[in-house]
Amino acid sequence: MILPVEVLLALVVWGTFVGVDLVSLPQMMIARPLVAGTVAGAILGDIPTGLKLGIVFELLQYDILPVGAVRYPEYGPATVAAVATAHASAGVLGLGLGALVGLVTGLTGGLTINLLRRINSRIVHAAAAQLESGDPGALVRVHVGGLLRDAVRAALVTMVGLVLAWLARPLLANALTVRGAVILAVAAVATALAAGAAGTLRLVGRGPNLAWFAAGLGGGLVATLWLR
Amino acid sequence: MAAVNGARGKGALARALLRLFAVQGSYNYERMLGVGVGVAEEPLLRDLDATRYGPAVARGGHFFNAHPYLAGLAIGAAARAEHDGASPDQIERLREALCGPLGSLGDRLVWAGWLPFLSGLTMAAIALGAGWIAVAAFLCVYNIGHVALRWWALKAGWTHGTRVSVALHHPMLQKAGAVLGPAMAFAVGAALPLTAAFLSGPFDAWARIALAIVAALSFILLRLRGDRVNGLRLSLAVAALALVAGVLWP
Amino acid sequence: MTLALYRIDDRLIHGQVVVGWGQPLNCSFIVLVDDEVSSSDWEQDLYRMGVSPQIEVIFASVEQAAAQFSDWEADARVGILLVGDVETAVALAARVPQVKRFNVGGVHHRAGRTERLRFVYLTDEEASKLRELAARGVEVTAQDVPTARAVPIGEFT
Repeated sequence: MILPVEVLLALVVWGTFVGVDLVSLPQMMIARPLVAGTVAGAILGDIPTGLKLGIVFELLQYDILPVGAVRYPEYGPATVAAVATAHASAGVLGLGLGALVGLVTGLTGGLTINLLRRINSRIVHAAAAQLESGDPGALVRVHVGGLLRDAVRAALVTMVGLVLAWLARPLLANALTVRGAVILAVAAVATALAAGAAGTLRLVGRGPNLAWFAAGLGGGLVATLWLR
Repeated sequence: MAAVNGARGKGALARALLRLFAVQGSYNYERMLGVGVGVAEEPLLRDLDATRYGPAVARGGHFFNAHPYLAGLAIGAAARAEHDGASPDQIERLREALCGPLGSLGDRLVWAGWLPFLSGLTMAAIALGAGWIAVAAFLCVYNIGHVALRWWALKAGWTHGTRVSVALHHPMLQKAGAVLGPAMAFAVGAALPLTAAFLSGPFDAWARIALAIVAALSFILLRLRGDRVNGLRLSLAVAALALVAGVLWP
Repeated sequence: MTLALYRIDDRLIHGQVVVGWGQPLNCSFIVLVDDEVSSSDWEQDLYRMGVSPQIEVIFASVEQAAAQFSDWEADARVGILLVGDVETAVALAARVPQVKRFNVGGVHHRAGRTERLRFVYLTDEEASKLRELAARGVEVTAQDVPTARAVPIGEFT
């Protein structure tokens, strides 16, 4: 995958915005894979690929419930990297390879979020005396420092993802047979669908909403069959 | 109290609202949202006299955790209580008592309601051919609710102070809570088969059968061993197996 | 059914409890055991706002909880019992021998506490009380959400 410098730069900037949006600023949900993927696709001039990978990672996102301080993977910059990978390899091969690169990037992103929170904890702990003095300047400095660190983290995760995207084609694509590419894509889509369904059922629970879920599932199945 | 109302009060509220968008900017395991809450609350404390301002700013930065969109309610309420001369203990107790309910309410309304509901609708719309327009609509509609909730929360806290539970009885919140759960369940339920068909469009018949089998087995594993296996780990493991099979199988 | 989860969590009723655990367990009632909250109307009002109207919230002091425990255990619905600190958990377990497990779901930073897990900060005294609780036959683990691993007491105290 060799992309023009301005496109690479745009992807890094977009991935950084997406990564910062997840937790820090402004949480307007550009971090959702549907949005991150579609815009990454638009940057690459390939919106259909952005939409497909966006849906794969959106389904995986349902597996995550960001309640309290739970640890979770980060699928925003991951989707940007996935779309960049898929764009370079057309069709089913792109879907499978893109998902693989995105999953590794998502894992990396999640680890860096945990690391950032630990670093922030140490900095807040060290600044406790200043914070307790009621100095608003100290409060703002600690806070803005956290924001900037998150921006650097998000940029680095996006860059790692794009490096993986660049490596994926020579290392993996050429080694895969046509059937192998399909198997990889099947694995990615199947596990994403399973994660989406299992995660949704955790949200739905076993109460009255389960009937609504079943009704939706039935309606979706009828619509799918009818459209065929 | 008069000083915090009127044009100056509105300016302070606007500044607090802007800062609220970054309330999780320094998220950490020790104070969680605390520092961000202190930063967002600070503009509302500037009219306090010098002896009260510093301690109030320090209190604002103490441990706090709640849903980020509703944190404004605690910020407004705590700032109002500072202006009303509540004791430090009362204010700390109010902040502590608000953590759980605001977290729970926000998680139910937004993370388990509004967000997955709209995301499900968007996935279904894309599968039906709506394309990027569906994503743009998702962003617009979601953020109307997002910004409205942040603004309402901050204003309600600022209006009611220590009697903030009155605001949480708002009928809209009750109604939204009752509607969003079923709506989310229905929308995501409908989206699943549509997206499955959309994503498997380019696959041959054998690949679709394999997809159904792998998805079913993965689903069962996630349901039965959800405490040990999550979507990411499972996807990586299955993708690694698929990669090996894909390289070896001619 | 019975009480499906006994949890120590200083935020008491919050998202991890209501959405994270409550939804998959199909929880119908929450027993909140806290001496201060059980005598504070405005706090009870706040905590009720954190759950959907279908879920009953019962507030009790440790003494009241000891007296009513068998009723909750015999309830046909699924319930969650919450306490806000280690001290209350120990006091409850001392009065109610049927309490056989506690999930440490969230005890956060305060002066004197050190980090044991990212969601568990304890003083040495609190850690020692939890170990004593475990030595008396109560299974003590730390787990914030159902999808996380239950960390045995030996790994965090």
